[in-house]
Amino acid sequence: MWKSVAYKEWLKIRWFFILSTIFGVLAVGYIFLKVQYDFKFNDPNNYWYVLLFMKVKYFSILKFVPLIIGFAVSVTQYFPETVDKRIKLTFHLPINENKILLIMMLFGTACLLASSTLLTLIFYVLSTIYFPVDIIIPALISITPWLLSGFAIYYLVAFIILEPMWKYRLFYLVFASAIFPIFLESSIAGGFAPVNMSLAVLVIGLSISLLFSGYRFRKGEQ
Amino acid sequence: MGNNAIECNNLTHYYGNKMVYENLNIHVKEGSILGLLGKNGTGKTTTINILNGFLQPRNGECLIYGENSQHLTPATKARIGFLIEGHIQYAFMNIHQIEKFYSGFYKRWDKEPYWELMSKLKVGKNQKISTMSCGQRSQVALGLILAQDPDLLILDDFSAGLDPGYRRLFIDYLREYAKTKRKTIFTTSHIIQDMERLIDDVLIMDYNRVLAQRNVHEFMRDFKQFYFEVEAPAINLSNEEFVANFEKIHNKIEIYTYESEKFVKGYLKKKGIAHTNFKKIEMGLEDAFIGLTGKY
Repeated sequence: MWKSVAYKEWLKIRWFFILSTIFGVLAVGYIFLKVQYDFKFNDPNNYWYVLLFMKVKYFSILKFVPLIIGFAVSVTQYFPETVDKRIKLTFHLPINENKILLIMMLFGTACLLASSTLLTLIFYVLSTIYFPVDIIIPALISITPWLLSGFAIYYLVAFIILEPMWKYRLFYLVFASAIFPIFLESSIAGGFAPVNMSLAVLVIGLSISLLFSGYRFRKGEQ
Repeated sequence: MGNNAIECNNLTHYYGNKMVYENLNIHVKEGSILGLLGKNGTGKTTTINILNGFLQPRNGECLIYGENSQHLTPATKARIGFLIEGHIQYAFMNIHQIEKFYSGFYKRWDKEPYWELMSKLKVGKNQKISTMSCGQRSQVALGLILAQDPDLLILDDFSAGLDPGYRRLFIDYLREYAKTKRKTIFTTSHIIQDMERLIDDVLIMDYNRVLAQRNVHEFMRDFKQFYFEVEAPAINLSNEEFVANFEKIHNKIEIYTYESEKFVKGYLKKKGIAHTNFKKIEMGLEDAFIGLTGKY
């Protein structure tokens, strides 16, 4: 049963997921091409000074990458369920309706986790070539809310897409617009350390929001 | 008397202030095929949605195999095959992928009838369902239901978008399957002439009420149409108790009734209504449906 659900979800998202993850890998690659360039053509001492003491982020381009991946996965996974109300087919499967939504959500989460882990690993490994731990750790702290934003947008888009009524979708959109910018606040490298845990808790809370949209659909709010 | 596969008691539903129906009672015996007929807006799809748990009625309940349709257990859902209006399926899959997907959910999955139907379709191995014709999609949806081997089939307007050949293929497969394996079917269709070949029992709904719920052959035997021409066109029999429906164009009268020819002739004689060309008109199910519900 789990395998069958995962199979269906994979068929929906595979190309967009693979392409957006490749885009993410290319973005990380671009960061280090730029770093290599700066090392070669600028004064390395000055470059390190800027990174260490002025807390400038050499990886800013990563900011919107998880968001793009999360958005792509969510739209490609949940939008096909709403076309011709195909979600009826999903809810009719011999499995509890909330459970199947949670399995779908967990599948998407696992995919995002895989792409986030891959991007973080590549980022970390390439960072160790050029930088000491004193620069890498703040960098990892800084990209954490961006990675979390990918999960947050994934859950919020699912919440909005599965909602059966446009009026409520707009209301949810306003709600999402109010909380989402928190993940993308500008800060110096490592500046997000105190709030990362809170953001993670918020993301976990958002993860089950699609159950509410599913419940409203089943009660006939159309 | 067999058990009921479906039992709806005192079903009441409104959309806002607009009543769809009040205190509707439906019983579908196990092993029977019931056709729900009604004009647009009489609540056919509403009933299907309530049965599948996609709509909460304002009052009353539907029981499927004794379980409230709003809270069906996975085991009971596995016993129900559901065809959505328009033969909707996961259109991003091809016929192999969709068979593989569904087979993981049903213990009684039997892929043979599915592939037997697919072999009749001229579709490519990797052709997505989204690129198939409506007729081909109907065969995919039907094949999946047959492979699921459910005890109860709920079919929402199965004939929508199908040409006559595919409609006939769909009905013949379905009736043979249901009768051989003693399956129960609850179905709606806009094309009523199709139903005649398929159903055992008929439920005819009008706005806010049920007009008939009985065996279709008994209904066709008992419900009659009489035609005659009158000398005084001002006549109006629509309020007579025995008249189910009364249609008049100039001096040409059509009466729909459950009463006999003898009764109607006797009535006309008793009331002194002069008439000519009195005859009983043979009706198909569609004629009887229109006769009972009216043309408007």
